Amino acid sequence: MSVKSWGMMLLTATAAIGCGEADRQTATTPANGSGSPDAAYVLTAEPTGSLGVGEVRSSAAEDVTVVGRIGGSAQPFVNGLAVFTIVDPAVPYCADDEGCPTPWDYCCAQNQVKENIATVEIVDDRGQPVAKDAKALLGVKELSTVVVHGKARRDEQGNLTVLASKVYVKK
Amino acid sequence: MFQFRPLPWEYGVRNLLRRPSRSALTLGALATVVLLVFVVVGFIRGLERSLAVSGDPSVMLVYSLAAEESIENSSIAARTSGLISASLDGIQKRFGVTHVSPELYLGTRVAAGDQQHGALGLVRGVTDAVPLVRRQVRLVDGTWPGPGEVLVGNLAPAKLGYDPEELAVGNTVAFEGRTWPISGRFVAGGSALESEIWCRLPDFQQALKRQDLSVVALLLKDGAAPAEVELFCARHRDLGLRAVGETAYYDSLQKHYLPVRMVAWLVVFLVAGAGVFAGLNMMYGAVAGRIREVATLQAVGYRRRAILLSLIQEGALLSAAASLLAGVAALWLLNGMAVRFTMGAFTLRVDSAALLIGCGTGLLLGVLGAIPPAIKALRLPVAESLKAI
Repeated sequence: MSVKSWGMMLLTATAAIGCGEADRQTATTPANGSGSPDAAYVLTAEPTGSLGVGEVRSSAAEDVTVVGRIGGSAQPFVNGLAVFTIVDPAVPYCADDEGCPTPWDYCCAQNQVKENIATVEIVDDRGQPVAKDAKALLGVKELSTVVVHGKARRDEQGNLTVLASKVYVKK
Repeated sequence: MFQFRPLPWEYGVRNLLRRPSRSALTLGALATVVLLVFVVVGFIRGLERSLAVSGDPSVMLVYSLAAEESIENSSIAARTSGLISASLDGIQKRFGVTHVSPELYLGTRVAAGDQQHGALGLVRGVTDAVPLVRRQVRLVDGTWPGPGEVLVGNLAPAKLGYDPEELAVGNTVAFEGRTWPISGRFVAGGSALESEIWCRLPDFQQALKRQDLSVVALLLKDGAAPAEVELFCARHRDLGLRAVGETAYYDSLQKHYLPVRMVAWLVVFLVAGAGVFAGLNMMYGAVAGRIREVATLQAVGYRRRAILLSLIQEGALLSAAASLLAGVAALWLLNGMAVRFTMGAFTLRVDSAALLIGCGTGLLLGVLGAIPPAIKALRLPVAESLKAI
Protein backbone atom coordinates (compact mmCIF):
# COMPACT_ATOMS: atom_id res chain seq x y z
CA MET A 1 0.00 0.00 0.00
CA SER A 2 1.41 3.39 -0.98
CA VAL A 3 2.05 6.32 1.32
CA LYS A 4 -0.63 8.24 -0.61
CA SER A 5 -3.23 5.60 0.27
CA TRP A 6 -2.32 5.77 3.95
CA GLY A 7 -2.62 9.53 3.79
CA MET A 8 -6.13 9.19 2.38
CA MET A 9 -7.10 6.78 5.20
CA LEU A 10 -5.84 9.20 7.85
CA LEU A 11 -7.68 12.08 6.21
CA THR A 12 -10.89 10.02 6.22
CA ALA A 13 -10.47 9.20 9.92
CA THR A 14 -9.77 12.85 10.75
CA ALA A 15 -12.82 13.94 8.77
CA ALA A 16 -14.92 11.39 10.68
CA ILE A 17 -13.79 12.90 14.00
CA GLY A 18 -14.52 16.36 12.67
CA CYS A 19 -18.13 15.31 12.04
CA GLY A 20 -18.77 15.61 15.79
CA GLU A 21 -18.55 19.38 15.48
CA ALA A 22 -21.08 19.39 12.67
CA ASP A 23 -23.46 17.34 14.82
CA ARG A 24 -23.13 19.83 17.65
CA GLN A 25 -23.91 22.70 15.36
CA THR A 26 -26.99 20.90 14.06
CA ALA A 27 -28.19 20.52 17.66
CA THR A 28 -28.40 24.29 18.07
CA THR A 29 -31.29 24.39 15.63
CA PRO A 30 -34.57 23.23 17.15
CA ALA A 31 -35.92 20.06 15.59
CA ASN A 32 -38.74 20.67 13.19
CA GLY A 33 -42.16 19.40 14.10
CA SER A 34 -42.38 16.20 12.12
CA GLY A 35 -45.17 15.64 9.59
CA SER A 36 -48.42 17.55 9.36
CA PRO A 37 -50.27 18.32 12.58
CA ASP A 38 -53.45 16.48 13.57
CA ALA A 39 -56.32 18.90 12.80
CA ALA A 40 -58.37 17.45 15.67
CA TYR A 41 -56.00 19.05 18.18
CA VAL A 42 -54.99 22.25 16.41
CA LEU A 43 -57.01 25.49 16.39
CA THR A 44 -57.03 27.47 13.17
CA ALA A 45 -57.92 30.77 14.83
CA GLU A 46 -56.09 32.29 17.77
CA PRO A 47 -58.21 32.40 20.95
CA THR A 48 -58.77 35.91 22.24
CA GLY A 49 -57.90 37.26 25.68
CA SER A 50 -54.79 35.19 26.21
CA LEU A 51 -52.55 35.94 29.20
CA GLY A 52 -48.90 35.18 29.84
CA VAL A 53 -48.01 32.17 31.97
CA GLY A 54 -46.88 34.35 34.89
CA GLU A 55 -50.25 36.13 35.06
CA VAL A 56 -52.21 32.92 34.86
CA ARG A 57 -50.12 31.36 37.65
CA SER A 58 -50.95 34.24 39.97
CA SER A 59 -54.67 34.17 39.16
CA ALA A 60 -57.21 31.71 40.51
CA ALA A 61 -59.24 31.31 37.31
CA GLU A 62 -60.20 27.79 36.30
CA ASP A 63 -60.86 28.42 32.61
CA VAL A 64 -57.71 29.97 31.22
CA THR A 65 -56.27 31.08 27.90
CA VAL A 66 -52.51 31.14 28.19
CA VAL A 67 -49.77 32.03 25.76
CA GLY A 68 -46.23 30.74 26.10
CA ARG A 69 -43.12 29.46 24.36
CA ILE A 70 -42.34 25.76 24.48
CA GLY A 71 -39.27 25.33 26.68
CA GLY A 72 -38.10 25.63 30.26
CA SER A 73 -35.68 22.69 30.19
CA ALA A 74 -33.41 20.94 27.73
CA GLN A 75 -36.21 18.46 27.01
CA PRO A 76 -39.53 20.28 27.35
CA PHE A 77 -41.51 17.47 25.66
CA VAL A 78 -42.61 14.27 27.44
CA ASN A 79 -41.71 11.32 25.22
CA GLY A 80 -44.76 9.39 24.06
CA LEU A 81 -47.35 11.83 25.43
CA ALA A 82 -48.78 15.10 24.16
CA VAL A 83 -47.38 16.97 27.16
CA PHE A 84 -44.90 19.83 27.23
CA THR A 85 -43.91 22.84 29.28
CA ILE A 86 -44.32 26.47 28.23
CA VAL A 87 -42.65 29.62 29.51
CA ASP A 88 -44.07 33.15 29.59
CA PRO A 89 -43.05 35.00 26.38
CA ALA A 90 -41.86 37.89 28.58
CA VAL A 91 -38.97 35.73 29.82
CA PRO A 92 -36.01 36.10 27.48
CA TYR A 93 -34.16 33.08 26.14
CA CYS A 94 -30.55 32.96 24.97
CA ALA A 95 -30.04 34.99 21.80
CA ASP A 96 -28.84 33.18 18.66
CA ASP A 97 -25.47 34.96 18.72
CA GLU A 98 -24.71 33.58 22.21
CA GLY A 99 -24.16 30.18 20.66
CA CYS A 100 -26.24 28.30 23.25
CA PRO A 101 -26.93 24.80 21.89
CA THR A 102 -30.32 24.58 23.66
CA PRO A 103 -31.72 28.12 24.04
CA TRP A 104 -35.13 26.68 24.96
CA ASP A 105 -33.80 25.60 28.38
CA TYR A 106 -33.63 29.29 29.40
CA CYS A 107 -30.34 28.55 31.17
CA CYS A 108 -29.62 32.29 31.49
CA ALA A 109 -32.95 33.02 33.18
CA GLN A 110 -33.70 29.99 35.36
CA ASN A 111 -34.78 32.15 38.32
CA GLN A 112 -37.43 33.85 36.17
CA VAL A 113 -38.58 30.53 34.74
CA LYS A 114 -39.62 29.17 38.16
CA GLU A 115 -42.54 31.59 38.42
CA ASN A 116 -43.35 31.68 34.70
CA ILE A 117 -43.69 28.06 33.64
CA ALA A 118 -46.69 25.81 33.12
CA THR A 119 -47.24 22.26 31.97
CA VAL A 120 -49.64 21.78 29.05
CA GLU A 121 -51.40 18.43 28.68
CA ILE A 122 -53.38 17.74 25.53
CA VAL A 123 -56.12 15.49 26.82
CA ASP A 124 -58.63 13.17 25.18
CA ASP A 125 -62.35 12.77 25.95
CA ARG A 126 -61.53 10.89 29.17
CA GLY A 127 -59.24 13.64 30.39
CA GLN A 128 -56.10 11.54 29.87
CA PRO A 129 -53.02 12.87 28.03
CA VAL A 130 -53.06 11.86 24.35
CA ALA A 131 -50.51 9.05 23.86
CA LYS A 132 -48.60 10.68 21.00
CA ASP A 133 -45.59 12.97 20.91
CA ALA A 134 -46.68 16.61 20.90
CA LYS A 135 -44.20 17.41 18.13
CA ALA A 136 -45.96 15.05 15.73
CA LEU A 137 -49.47 15.76 17.00
CA LEU A 138 -49.30 19.55 16.84
CA GLY A 139 -46.42 20.19 14.45
CA VAL A 140 -44.55 22.20 17.07
CA LYS A 141 -40.93 22.39 18.12
CA GLU A 142 -38.88 23.91 20.91
CA LEU A 143 -39.50 27.68 21.25
CA SER A 144 -42.73 27.51 19.22
CA THR A 145 -45.24 30.00 20.61
CA VAL A 146 -48.59 28.44 21.45
CA VAL A 147 -51.91 29.71 22.77
CA VAL A 148 -53.76 27.18 24.90
CA HIS A 149 -57.30 27.34 26.18
CA GLY A 150 -58.23 24.84 28.86
CA LYS A 151 -58.79 23.98 32.50
CA ALA A 152 -56.17 25.11 34.99
CA ARG A 153 -55.02 22.72 37.71
CA ARG A 154 -52.91 24.12 40.51
CA ASP A 155 -51.30 22.29 43.43
CA GLU A 156 -50.15 23.50 46.84
CA GLN A 157 -46.61 23.99 45.59
CA GLY A 158 -47.81 26.49 42.95
CA ASN A 159 -47.37 24.21 39.94
CA LEU A 160 -49.73 25.05 37.09
CA THR A 161 -50.99 22.46 34.63
CA VAL A 162 -53.33 23.39 31.78
CA LEU A 163 -55.52 20.59 30.48
CA ALA A 164 -56.45 21.47 26.91
CA SER A 165 -58.07 19.70 24.03
CA LYS A 166 -56.79 22.05 21.31
CA VAL A 167 -53.84 24.34 20.81
CA TYR A 168 -53.22 27.31 18.54
CA VAL A 169 -49.69 27.39 17.15
CA LYS A 170 -48.46 30.91 16.29
CA LYS A 171 -46.61 31.15 12.99
CA MET B 1 2.72 -24.42 -21.79
CA PHE B 2 0.76 -21.42 -20.48
CA GLN B 3 -0.41 -23.33 -17.40
CA PHE B 4 0.27 -21.48 -14.13
CA ARG B 5 2.91 -23.40 -12.13
CA PRO B 6 3.35 -22.10 -8.55
CA LEU B 7 6.47 -22.70 -6.49
CA PRO B 8 6.14 -25.62 -4.07
CA TRP B 9 4.56 -24.73 -0.71
CA GLU B 10 7.60 -26.15 1.10
CA TYR B 11 9.88 -23.71 -0.74
CA GLY B 12 8.45 -20.71 1.11
CA VAL B 13 8.41 -22.52 4.46
CA ARG B 14 12.04 -23.64 4.05
CA ASN B 15 13.06 -20.11 3.06
CA LEU B 16 11.79 -18.81 6.39
CA LEU B 17 13.85 -21.40 8.27
CA ARG B 18 16.96 -20.72 6.15
CA ARG B 19 17.26 -17.25 7.75
CA PRO B 20 16.11 -17.94 11.33
CA SER B 21 17.35 -14.72 12.95
CA ARG B 22 15.80 -12.45 10.28
CA SER B 23 12.56 -14.45 10.42
CA ALA B 24 12.51 -14.28 14.24
CA LEU B 25 13.08 -10.51 14.18
CA THR B 26 10.27 -9.98 11.65
CA LEU B 27 8.02 -12.27 13.71
CA GLY B 28 8.77 -10.28 16.87
CA ALA B 29 8.13 -6.93 15.15
CA LEU B 30 4.82 -8.12 13.67
CA ALA B 31 3.70 -9.69 16.98
CA THR B 32 4.42 -6.42 18.82
CA VAL B 33 2.39 -4.42 16.31
CA VAL B 34 -0.54 -6.85 16.54
CA LEU B 35 -0.34 -6.81 20.36
CA LEU B 36 -0.55 -3.00 20.30
CA VAL B 37 -3.64 -3.29 18.11
CA PHE B 38 -5.12 -5.73 20.67
CA VAL B 39 -4.46 -3.25 23.50
CA VAL B 40 -6.30 -0.43 21.72
CA VAL B 41 -9.18 -2.57 20.41
CA GLY B 42 -9.48 -4.25 23.85
CA PHE B 43 -9.72 -0.77 25.40
CA ILE B 44 -12.49 0.29 23.01
CA ARG B 45 -14.43 -2.98 23.39
CA GLY B 46 -14.09 -2.86 27.20
CA LEU B 47 -15.33 0.73 27.40
CA GLU B 48 -18.24 0.01 25.06
CA ARG B 49 -19.24 -3.11 26.98
CA SER B 50 -19.01 -1.39 30.36
CA LEU B 51 -21.42 1.32 29.22
CA ALA B 52 -23.66 -1.15 27.37
CA VAL B 53 -24.20 -3.43 30.39
CA SER B 54 -24.65 -0.50 32.76
CA GLY B 55 -28.20 0.23 31.69
CA ASP B 56 -31.29 -1.78 32.66
CA PRO B 57 -34.17 -1.00 30.24
CA SER B 58 -36.71 -1.34 33.07
CA VAL B 59 -34.97 1.17 35.34
CA MET B 60 -35.68 4.90 35.30
CA LEU B 61 -33.45 7.47 36.96
CA VAL B 62 -35.01 10.59 38.46
CA TYR B 63 -32.55 13.38 39.22
CA SER B 64 -32.14 17.12 39.19
CA LEU B 65 -33.08 19.12 36.12
CA ALA B 66 -30.16 21.44 36.85
CA ALA B 67 -27.63 18.61 36.82
CA GLU B 68 -27.65 18.37 33.01
CA GLU B 69 -26.37 14.86 32.26
CA SER B 70 -24.27 14.33 35.38
CA ILE B 71 -25.83 12.57 38.35
CA GLU B 72 -22.80 13.53 40.50
CA ASN B 73 -23.97 17.16 40.32
CA SER B 74 -27.58 16.35 41.14
CA SER B 75 -29.30 17.39 44.35
CA ILE B 76 -32.98 16.62 44.87
CA ALA B 77 -35.26 16.78 47.89
CA ALA B 78 -35.24 13.74 50.18
CA ARG B 79 -39.06 13.58 49.98
CA THR B 80 -38.84 12.86 46.22
CA SER B 81 -38.51 9.14 46.83
CA GLY B 82 -41.69 8.96 48.94
CA LEU B 83 -43.60 11.19 46.51
CA ILE B 84 -42.67 9.00 43.55
CA SER B 85 -43.59 5.80 45.38
CA ALA B 86 -46.97 7.22 46.33
CA SER B 87 -47.78 8.85 42.98
CA LEU B 88 -46.88 6.35 40.28
CA ASP B 89 -48.74 3.13 39.47
CA GLY B 90 -46.17 1.82 37.00
CA ILE B 91 -43.49 1.02 39.59
CA GLN B 92 -42.82 -2.64 40.38
CA LYS B 93 -44.22 -3.64 43.75
CA ARG B 94 -43.86 -7.03 45.41
CA PHE B 95 -44.89 -8.19 48.88
CA GLY B 96 -45.80 -4.61 49.74
CA VAL B 97 -42.34 -3.27 48.87
CA THR B 98 -42.11 -0.63 46.14
CA HIS B 99 -38.97 -1.01 44.04
CA VAL B 100 -37.61 2.50 44.50
CA SER B 101 -34.03 3.19 45.49
CA PRO B 102 -33.11 6.62 46.90
CA GLU B 103 -29.38 7.20 46.49
CA LEU B 104 -26.75 9.80 47.33
CA TYR B 105 -23.83 9.66 44.91
CA LEU B 106 -20.55 11.48 45.22
CA GLY B 107 -17.01 11.51 43.88
CA THR B 108 -14.67 11.94 46.85
CA ARG B 109 -11.15 11.08 48.03
CA VAL B 110 -10.96 7.57 49.43
CA ALA B 111 -7.91 6.26 51.30
CA ALA B 112 -7.31 2.57 51.95
CA GLY B 113 -6.07 1.44 55.39
CA ASP B 114 -3.54 3.79 56.96
CA GLN B 115 -2.74 5.70 53.79
CA GLN B 116 -2.75 9.47 54.19
CA HIS B 117 -3.57 10.55 50.66
CA GLY B 118 -6.51 8.91 49.04
CA ALA B 119 -7.49 8.62 45.42
CA LEU B 120 -10.65 9.93 43.79
CA GLY B 121 -13.34 7.29 44.24
CA LEU B 122 -17.09 7.01 43.75
CA VAL B 123 -19.27 6.47 46.83
CA ARG B 124 -23.00 5.74 46.78
CA GLY B 125 -25.23 5.88 49.84
CA VAL B 126 -27.96 3.27 49.42
CA THR B 127 -30.85 1.67 51.28
CA ASP B 128 -31.88 -1.98 51.57
CA ALA B 129 -34.09 -1.43 48.49
CA VAL B 130 -31.12 -1.03 46.14
CA PRO B 131 -30.81 -4.74 45.13
CA LEU B 132 -34.48 -4.66 44.06
CA VAL B 133 -33.65 -2.01 41.45
CA ARG B 134 -29.97 -2.65 40.66
CA ARG B 135 -30.65 -6.23 39.68
CA GLN B 136 -27.20 -7.05 38.29
CA VAL B 137 -25.56 -6.59 41.70
CA ARG B 138 -24.36 -9.77 43.46
CA LEU B 139 -22.67 -9.98 46.85
CA VAL B 140 -19.68 -12.29 46.29
CA ASP B 141 -17.84 -11.96 49.59
CA GLY B 142 -18.71 -10.89 53.15
CA THR B 143 -22.02 -9.42 54.26
CA TRP B 144 -24.36 -6.51 53.54
CA PRO B 145 -23.00 -3.35 55.26
CA GLY B 146 -24.19 -2.61 58.77
CA PRO B 147 -24.07 0.86 60.38
CA GLY B 148 -20.79 2.60 59.52
CA GLU B 149 -19.66 -0.18 57.14
CA VAL B 150 -19.11 -0.22 53.39
CA LEU B 151 -19.47 -2.63 50.50
CA VAL B 152 -16.72 -2.47 47.88
CA GLY B 153 -17.24 -3.08 44.16
CA ASN B 154 -14.98 -5.56 42.41
CA LEU B 155 -13.44 -2.84 40.21
CA ALA B 156 -13.16 -0.23 42.99
CA PRO B 157 -9.46 -1.08 43.66
CA ALA B 158 -8.71 -0.42 39.96
CA LYS B 159 -10.64 2.86 40.05
CA LEU B 160 -8.70 3.94 43.15
CA GLY B 161 -5.37 2.58 41.94
CA TYR B 162 -5.02 0.22 44.92
CA ASP B 163 -4.08 -3.41 45.16
CA PRO B 164 -7.26 -5.56 45.57
CA GLU B 165 -5.78 -6.91 48.83
CA GLU B 166 -5.87 -3.41 50.31
CA LEU B 167 -9.64 -3.32 49.90
CA ALA B 168 -10.27 -6.88 51.13
CA VAL B 169 -13.15 -7.66 53.49
CA GLY B 170 -12.12 -6.80 57.06
CA ASN B 171 -9.86 -3.89 56.04
CA THR B 172 -10.91 -0.27 56.29
CA VAL B 173 -11.26 2.73 53.98
CA ALA B 174 -11.38 6.39 54.98
CA PHE B 175 -13.46 9.10 53.35
CA GLU B 176 -15.31 12.23 54.42
CA GLY B 177 -13.48 12.26 57.76
CA ARG B 178 -14.56 8.78 58.83
CA THR B 179 -13.06 5.31 58.81
CA TRP B 180 -15.35 2.67 57.35
CA PRO B 181 -14.78 -1.10 57.84
CA ILE B 182 -15.29 -3.14 54.65
CA SER B 183 -18.08 -5.67 55.21
CA GLY B 184 -18.29 -7.21 51.75
CA ARG B 185 -17.48 -7.17 48.05
CA PHE B 186 -19.92 -7.09 45.14
CA VAL B 187 -19.94 -7.57 41.38
CA ALA B 188 -22.34 -5.93 38.93
CA GLY B 189 -21.72 -7.66 35.61
CA GLY B 190 -18.85 -5.34 34.71
CA SER B 191 -21.13 -2.29 34.80
CA ALA B 192 -20.17 1.17 36.06
CA LEU B 193 -21.62 0.31 39.50
CA GLU B 194 -18.82 -2.21 40.02
CA SER B 195 -16.20 0.52 40.50
CA GLU B 196 -18.12 2.13 43.37
CA ILE B 197 -18.11 1.89 47.17
CA TRP B 198 -21.53 1.57 48.78
CA CYS B 199 -22.55 2.50 52.31
CA ARG B 200 -25.86 3.01 54.09
CA LEU B 201 -27.67 6.18 52.97
CA PRO B 202 -28.24 7.64 56.49
CA ASP B 203 -24.56 7.11 57.38
CA PHE B 204 -23.42 8.86 54.21
CA GLN B 205 -25.87 11.75 54.69
CA GLN B 206 -24.59 12.14 58.24
CA ALA B 207 -20.95 12.10 57.14
CA LEU B 208 -21.64 14.70 54.44
CA LYS B 209 -24.00 16.73 56.65
CA ARG B 210 -26.52 16.56 53.81
CA GLN B 211 -30.20 15.67 53.85
CA ASP B 212 -30.79 15.54 50.11
CA LEU B 213 -30.48 12.80 47.49
CA SER B 214 -28.67 12.63 44.16
CA VAL B 215 -30.95 10.25 42.32
CA VAL B 216 -33.99 8.05 42.77
CA ALA B 217 -33.75 4.84 40.73
CA LEU B 218 -36.97 2.93 40.18
CA LEU B 219 -37.92 -0.33 38.53
CA LEU B 220 -40.91 -0.21 36.19
CA LYS B 221 -43.50 -2.99 35.99
CA ASP B 222 -43.48 -5.07 32.81
CA GLY B 223 -45.25 -3.04 30.13
CA ALA B 224 -45.35 0.16 32.18
CA ALA B 225 -44.64 3.30 30.17
CA PRO B 226 -41.60 5.42 31.11
CA ALA B 227 -43.74 8.42 30.04
CA GLU B 228 -45.62 8.13 33.35
CA VAL B 229 -42.44 9.02 35.24
CA GLU B 230 -41.63 11.86 32.83
CA LEU B 231 -45.19 13.15 33.27
CA PHE B 232 -44.74 13.14 37.06
CA CYS B 233 -41.62 15.30 36.64
CA ALA B 234 -43.38 17.70 34.26
CA ARG B 235 -46.32 18.11 36.65
CA HIS B 236 -44.04 18.74 39.67
CA ARG B 237 -41.89 21.53 38.29
CA ASP B 238 -41.24 22.84 41.82
CA LEU B 239 -39.12 19.73 42.50
CA GLY B 240 -36.93 20.45 39.47
CA LEU B 241 -36.77 16.83 38.37
CA ARG B 242 -36.04 15.03 35.14
CA ALA B 243 -36.55 11.35 34.34
CA VAL B 244 -34.29 9.37 32.05
CA GLY B 245 -34.23 5.67 31.28
CA GLU B 246 -31.04 4.10 32.64
CA THR B 247 -30.22 2.73 29.19
CA ALA B 248 -30.68 6.19 27.62
CA TYR B 249 -28.48 7.70 30.35
CA TYR B 250 -25.58 5.39 29.55
CA ASP B 251 -26.23 5.79 25.81
CA SER B 252 -25.68 9.51 26.29
CA LEU B 253 -22.39 8.71 28.04
CA GLN B 254 -21.47 6.52 25.04
CA LYS B 255 -21.93 9.61 22.88
CA HIS B 256 -19.88 11.60 25.38
CA TYR B 257 -17.00 9.15 24.95
CA LEU B 258 -17.32 9.03 21.14
CA PRO B 259 -14.26 11.28 20.60
CA VAL B 260 -12.21 8.98 22.85
CA ARG B 261 -13.29 5.96 20.81
CA MET B 262 -12.59 7.76 17.54
CA VAL B 263 -9.10 8.69 18.71
CA ALA B 264 -8.55 5.08 19.81
CA TRP B 265 -9.53 3.86 16.32
CA LEU B 266 -7.16 6.43 14.83
CA VAL B 267 -4.43 4.95 17.05
CA VAL B 268 -5.28 1.49 15.64
CA PHE B 269 -4.80 2.89 12.10
CA LEU B 270 -1.56 4.63 13.05
CA VAL B 271 -0.16 1.56 14.82
CA ALA B 272 -1.14 -0.63 11.87
CA GLY B 273 0.37 1.96 9.49
CA ALA B 274 3.61 1.99 11.44
CA GLY B 275 3.54 -1.80 11.35
CA VAL B 276 3.15 -1.83 7.56
CA PHE B 277 6.12 0.52 7.15
CA ALA B 278 8.23 -1.60 9.55
CA GLY B 279 7.13 -4.72 7.68
CA LEU B 280 7.92 -3.10 4.32
CA ASN B 281 11.37 -2.17 5.56
CA MET B 282 12.06 -5.72 6.76
CA MET B 283 10.70 -7.26 3.58
CA TYR B 284 12.69 -4.87 1.33
CA GLY B 285 15.81 -5.96 3.22
CA ALA B 286 14.84 -9.62 2.94
CA VAL B 287 14.06 -9.48 -0.77
CA ALA B 288 17.06 -7.26 -1.63
CA GLY B 289 19.36 -10.04 -0.44
CA ARG B 290 17.59 -12.55 -2.67
CA ILE B 291 17.69 -10.80 -6.05
CA ARG B 292 19.88 -13.53 -7.57
CA GLU B 293 17.62 -16.23 -6.18
CA VAL B 294 14.54 -14.54 -7.66
CA ALA B 295 16.30 -14.14 -11.02
CA THR B 296 17.40 -17.80 -10.96
CA LEU B 297 13.81 -18.89 -10.35
CA GLN B 298 12.74 -16.81 -13.36
CA ALA B 299 15.61 -18.29 -15.44
CA VAL B 300 14.54 -21.87 -14.70
CA GLY B 301 11.03 -21.08 -15.90
CA TYR B 302 8.93 -19.90 -12.97
CA ARG B 303 6.64 -17.05 -13.90
CA ARG B 304 6.81 -13.75 -12.01
CA ARG B 305 3.39 -14.16 -10.40
CA ALA B 306 4.41 -17.62 -9.08
CA ILE B 307 7.45 -16.04 -7.38
CA LEU B 308 5.32 -13.14 -6.12
CA LEU B 309 2.84 -15.65 -4.67
CA SER B 310 5.67 -17.49 -2.90
CA LEU B 311 6.98 -14.24 -1.36
CA ILE B 312 3.46 -13.30 -0.21
CA GLN B 313 3.15 -16.81 1.23
CA GLU B 314 6.26 -16.19 3.34
CA GLY B 315 4.88 -12.86 4.57
CA ALA B 316 1.46 -14.37 5.31
CA LEU B 317 3.01 -17.31 7.21
CA LEU B 318 5.09 -14.98 9.38
CA SER B 319 2.22 -12.62 10.07
CA ALA B 320 -0.18 -15.49 10.85
CA ALA B 321 2.31 -16.89 13.37
CA ALA B 322 2.80 -13.38 14.82
CA SER B 323 -0.98 -12.86 15.08
CA LEU B 324 -1.37 -16.18 16.90
CA LEU B 325 1.44 -15.32 19.32
CA ALA B 326 0.01 -11.85 19.96
CA GLY B 327 -3.50 -13.31 20.33
CA VAL B 328 -2.35 -15.79 22.98
CA ALA B 329 -0.43 -13.03 24.80
CA ALA B 330 -3.45 -10.70 24.64
CA LEU B 331 -5.83 -13.35 26.01
CA TRP B 332 -3.38 -14.29 28.73
CA LEU B 333 -2.10 -10.85 29.77
CA LEU B 334 -4.61 -8.23 28.63
CA ASN B 335 -8.07 -9.80 28.77
CA GLY B 336 -9.82 -8.76 31.99
CA MET B 337 -7.15 -6.25 32.99
CA ALA B 338 -8.81 -3.42 34.94
CA VAL B 339 -8.39 0.10 33.58
CA ARG B 340 -9.27 3.30 35.41
CA PHE B 341 -11.17 6.08 33.62
CA THR B 342 -13.19 9.14 34.60
CA MET B 343 -16.49 7.54 35.53
CA GLY B 344 -15.10 4.41 37.15
CA ALA B 345 -13.16 1.46 35.87
CA PHE B 346 -13.65 -1.22 33.27
CA THR B 347 -11.81 -4.29 32.08
CA LEU B 348 -9.97 -4.65 28.78
CA ARG B 349 -11.96 -7.01 26.62
CA VAL B 350 -10.22 -9.22 24.07
CA ASP B 351 -13.38 -10.78 22.63
CA SER B 352 -14.12 -12.37 19.26
CA ALA B 353 -14.41 -8.97 17.54
CA ALA B 354 -11.08 -7.82 19.00
CA LEU B 355 -9.41 -11.09 17.92
CA LEU B 356 -10.84 -10.72 14.41
CA ILE B 357 -9.62 -7.12 14.10
CA GLY B 358 -6.18 -7.86 15.63
CA CYS B 359 -5.48 -11.02 13.62
CA GLY B 360 -6.96 -9.47 10.46
CA THR B 361 -4.64 -6.48 10.83
CA GLY B 362 -1.69 -8.83 11.37
CA LEU B 363 -2.44 -10.88 8.26
CA LEU B 364 -2.96 -7.72 6.24
CA LEU B 365 0.43 -6.41 7.39
CA GLY B 366 2.16 -9.59 6.21
CA VAL B 367 0.47 -9.70 2.82
CA LEU B 368 0.65 -5.95 2.06
CA GLY B 369 4.19 -5.68 3.40
CA ALA B 370 5.45 -8.40 1.02
CA ILE B 371 3.96 -7.08 -2.22
CA PRO B 372 5.91 -3.82 -2.96
CA PRO B 373 9.47 -5.21 -2.40
CA ALA B 374 8.61 -8.39 -4.30
CA ILE B 375 7.32 -6.38 -7.27
CA LYS B 376 10.46 -4.24 -7.21
CA ALA B 377 12.71 -7.34 -7.28
CA LEU B 378 10.70 -8.93 -10.10
CA ARG B 379 10.92 -5.80 -12.30
CA LEU B 380 14.72 -6.02 -12.62
CA PRO B 381 16.01 -7.66 -15.83
CA VAL B 382 16.92 -11.34 -15.26
CA ALA B 383 20.41 -11.09 -16.81
CA GLU B 384 21.28 -8.06 -14.68
CA SER B 385 19.90 -9.65 -11.52
CA LEU B 386 21.88 -12.84 -12.02
CA LYS B 387 25.07 -10.78 -11.89
CA ALA B 388 24.00 -8.96 -8.68
CA ILE B 389 26.18 -9.50 -5.62
